[in-house]
Amino acid sequence: MTALTFTLNGEETTEAVEPREILADVLRDRLRLTGTHLGCEHGACGACTVTIDGVPARSCIVLAVMCDGKSVETIEGTRDDAAMNVIRRHFHEQHALQCGFCTPGMLMAARDIIARHGQPDEATVRRELSGQVCRCTGYMGIVAAIRSAAAELHPEAAARPMHTVSSLA
Amino acid sequence: MKPAAIDYARPKDLAEACAMLNEAGDAAMMVAGGQSLVPMMSLRLTAFETLLDVSRLEALKRTEDEGSHVFLGAATTHAMIEDGKVPDPSQGLMSRVASKIAYRAVRNMGTIGGSVALADPAADWPCGLIALEAEVILAGPDGERALPADGFFLGPYETAREPNEIIVGFRIPKLPPAARWGTFKVARKSGAFSDSLAIAVLPGDGSARVALTGTTAHAGLLVRASEALPSGNVAALREAARADIAELDPDADAYRVRCHLATVTRAAAEALS
Amino acid sequence: MSADADPNGWIGARLLRKEDARHLIGASTFTADVRVPGLMEVAFVRSQFAHGTLSGIEKPEGLEARVFSAADFPDLKSIDGGPELPSFRTAPYHAFAREKVHFVGQIIAACIAPTRGKAEDIADQVFADIDALPAVVDTVEALKPGAAILHDGFADNAFIHATVSEGDIEAVAATAPVSMRRTFRMNRQATVPLEGRGVLAYWDHRLDELVVYLSTQGAHMMRLGLCLALGLPEHKMRVIAPDVGGGFGGKNRLMPEEVAICAIALKTGKPVRWIEDRREHLIASVHCREHHYDITLYAERDGRILGLKGEVHIDAGAYSLWPSGPFMEASMAARNLPGPYQMQALHVETHTVATSKSPMGPYRGVARPGACFAIERAVDELAHELGLEPADVRRINLVASEQMPYRTIGGMRLDSGDYPKALSIVREMVDLAALRRRQMEGEADGRRIGVGFAVYTEQSGHGAAEWMKRKSRIVPGYESATARMLPDGTMLLLVGIQNHGQGLETTLAQIAAQEITVDPANISVRYGDTALTPFGFGTFASRSIVFSGGAVARATRALADKARRIGAHLMQIEFEQTHLADGAVHGPAGKVSLAEIARAANVRQEFLPAGMPPLLEETATYEPEESGGFFSYGAHAAVVAVDPETGVTSILDYAIAEDCGTMINPMIVDGQIIGGVAQGIGTALYEEMPYDESGQPLATTFGDYMLPCAPELPALRIHHLITPAHGTEYGVKGMGEGGAIAPPAAIANAVCDALRDTGARIWETPLTPRRVSDAVAEAMGEPA
Repeated sequence: MTALTFTLNGEETTEAVEPREILADVLRDRLRLTGTHLGCEHGACGACTVTIDGVPARSCIVLAVMCDGKSVETIEGTRDDAAMNVIRRHFHEQHALQCGFCTPGMLMAARDIIARHGQPDEATVRRELSGQVCRCTGYMGIVAAIRSAAAELHPEAAARPMHTVSSLA
Repeated sequence: MKPAAIDYARPKDLAEACAMLNEAGDAAMMVAGGQSLVPMMSLRLTAFETLLDVSRLEALKRTEDEGSHVFLGAATTHAMIEDGKVPDPSQGLMSRVASKIAYRAVRNMGTIGGSVALADPAADWPCGLIALEAEVILAGPDGERALPADGFFLGPYETAREPNEIIVGFRIPKLPPAARWGTFKVARKSGAFSDSLAIAVLPGDGSARVALTGTTAHAGLLVRASEALPSGNVAALREAARADIAELDPDADAYRVRCHLATVTRAAAEALS
Repeated sequence: MSADADPNGWIGARLLRKEDARHLIGASTFTADVRVPGLMEVAFVRSQFAHGTLSGIEKPEGLEARVFSAADFPDLKSIDGGPELPSFRTAPYHAFAREKVHFVGQIIAACIAPTRGKAEDIADQVFADIDALPAVVDTVEALKPGAAILHDGFADNAFIHATVSEGDIEAVAATAPVSMRRTFRMNRQATVPLEGRGVLAYWDHRLDELVVYLSTQGAHMMRLGLCLALGLPEHKMRVIAPDVGGGFGGKNRLMPEEVAICAIALKTGKPVRWIEDRREHLIASVHCREHHYDITLYAERDGRILGLKGEVHIDAGAYSLWPSGPFMEASMAARNLPGPYQMQALHVETHTVATSKSPMGPYRGVARPGACFAIERAVDELAHELGLEPADVRRINLVASEQMPYRTIGGMRLDSGDYPKALSIVREMVDLAALRRRQMEGEADGRRIGVGFAVYTEQSGHGAAEWMKRKSRIVPGYESATARMLPDGTMLLLVGIQNHGQGLETTLAQIAAQEITVDPANISVRYGDTALTPFGFGTFASRSIVFSGGAVARATRALADKARRIGAHLMQIEFEQTHLADGAVHGPAGKVSLAEIARAANVRQEFLPAGMPPLLEETATYEPEESGGFFSYGAHAAVVAVDPETGVTSILDYAIAEDCGTMINPMIVDGQIIGGVAQGIGTALYEEMPYDESGQPLATTFGDYMLPCAPELPALRIHHLITPAHGTEYGVKGMGEGGAIAPPAAIANAVCDALRDTGARIWETPLTPRRVSDAVAEAMGEPA
């Protein structure tokens, strides 16, 4: 066992872990933060997305020991995050979730997309969501929620012309 | 789907890493971003005793504009290149290549050095570094050496790196502002490993480099296509590429050949446009 | 909460979902989130051979007590499913393989340890002695002479051969001016809910029962099945389905892992769990879709279809899953082959075939995506053969609205709707005439664009008669609901269905709200716990809004009736003078709130009319009178761009005109349609579970099994026609599956349309770049 000390949702946390343990299992099984979901365990579905030192990462393909000294934020750590609460509201209003299993990872990705792109157009949102699998919604509600949340969070960012995949121009 | 038990070591500097690697030999595996390695561990497709975490070595994180070249440390992440947070020798080509690797969360962790060290034939950086005429800088017990990226990749998951060497970074010649380039990838979906990826570079001095990867055994330079590209004759380029592909991907069936021809032609067309 | 809702009419309100909040803060509880002290994790040892004799299992030294195999459970019963037909052959499916293994991934042993990683360490040391036998991987070849026979006692590899025949096909064949034969294949898929399966079991000593947390679509049904396998009385088992991360049919069969975990928990006395990983899901969970069609259409020269003759092979995999097995697949495929088209004769031979693959089960659309793909591709082929516009050929063959109700030649009673109108709407939405002009002009980038149509029907809300026709050993002909008003006037609805993404916590509350005039915010829906709810069958077959919605309406209506009686008594007026509004019983001069009435009924019985029993609680069951089902339907139009060299297909536009009767919540209806179409696009272009000749699965991770993501999917355009059903509550029809049915047909037609001048045609799904590129090359006379 190795001592892992890191900042978890703002709190310094120490836990003895096996080097083989992936971050998601340490979060879920040892630290009981089960909002981080495992959908594939090989980095392809995005359900386990957390942030490490502020950027989204897949906690199923990061070993916990490699997070020593770093800062990890899970969905549970975002409950007082003003931006995330706006995004949550738009997810609710745009019917951006059905079974809810992908939702925590989707939210972590969504906040990052909005932070990096201001008011992204539809094509940008779709491209950036690549690898975040939702099996229920067909993504339309998610894309709409990210765009409308972005418009609320970044009204100063010039709204780019609406691009729709269906336009045949 | 959980990794088998391992030991973990985090050397404090490059010298210690080299020493540990030299001592442990095949029993050790290096990890930087872990974005390919950890899934392979979880699937139990790889076995080793000790994981050497080189992700925090300063020597591997260094990035520098060296005048005629840019040095990018092996631990530079795809996202840093995508976002232009490190010096760019390539007039934007490397940012494009980075942006098409897997998914953003993977690009935040995954490193250019890890990609090159693994040498997955479907990976993007081997092809990109060959096209850019980069050198791979390796550190071993006897010091550093530089190998051209073209020739570094020997087969699927096989490189010219000795077992006791660490990839420190890459020395990439700068493209002039007038340089042109193009890329084209065919994959079954966004973020998936490519069936074919071609990268064409016209530095503007009358020369050209076209590199290809995907279903090949490894990324490689298309010598004839590179010669044909500057003329701008697409039909000639295709014929040249066809001969190159026969050499680089001898087992390719008709579909794979079509894909390679398509990516080469379109990467070339973008570079010429 | 109540965005656009009209408080006086909850039916049809775009009410935002009650179930969202917990998911949005990461506080939901899926099976893998449940924690029990002392929990042991299981890793299974699975067969690496597709077919073989199992002669022994060597447990690692010193760890024997951590490893379980068939020999440890001699009393465990096999979990055999299938129709109650003497012609159906049964191959016993044991939770742990006994003498033979029949697919890669079949369970041989289970290893327990405090963590999954340590359990896998043990599993890696277990040796199974297997002598390989020839695998059977092609469903058509499997029936040819000389094929290895998989199951003892089978005369050939079929579980069952059956014929669906109506009208005189020979007479039609003898006189039809046009006869056209084509073969089609829909390849195998996995169901891939984002949450895999999972089960956790422990003995609760206080309640003296086995508690089973299970990611399932029907807790009551699974208790029934598990108790059959374990030999446990049903009152000794409680099944809890907590939050379930999608099902799509894949969590609606009793699976060996579930039996094994319960058996190990009973044997060891320890809490045990197994959480399916994605590799296990792809190779060893419910498989679906794999059909082969060889069909001949008979027609007039004007495109009018006269009859259909064909042969359908269903690749059922190695075993028949409880309860209904794979046979429904064949009968539904055959009976849906005529689609919504009029014809005089149908003759289909079906073969439900055992192969060396993971067993087949239901997946959104069950059989109809394959049947729709076959008939709709064939209609396009017929149109091209006759030089007609495919959309026109559809129009002249579609059942017209004035013919409703119409019994198709496949025996489906299409109850209502305007099918030709749906087709003409999507034709306008994509502007067919403009697309044809654009095709003539060509594309600057060398791609070809094409347009494809498909019309589908979706049988929903079918009851006892339909399930009896299918010879189902379980007849899910009703649903149940208990409506309970608590002393403060808030309500609980206890229902036997499962909500795993369908929004039923919201829509069922809307239905109760409609009946009792209580705001849905004050109505909680409870489900997924056998200790809590009346018996029900679960959520599948587009049934929950019809059946469970109907039961909720009835139970709430009865409760409302009683509340009015109490209200009338309190106001000293006649029952007939009362009505419900705004959460109160109103009389001619005054009102009594439901809270006051509920208080009287629950805790102040002295205010009740003499002789009236206390409580405000009603349980009702519901089955529509017409139990052949209610048909949602729609027309889809896909516009694609195809790169003829690489074979890459992009969807440019996708239009839908659909009719599911009355919509309880249009927002949720749209969500179901969009999600269904996304899965249908997966079938059309991306998802495939291929096997090599030795029966090794070739897609074992998401690196090989392609799921469409946001960049792969278009923004859909949806038009609703609304023809309320006659004979369901509020005129609703089920609609959860329809979206997934038509896309493979519409997209394949569009791709073939795009490539028409090359002569390339595609006969199977998914239309991968390789398949499309090879088809173009072959048509152009180049090596494919």
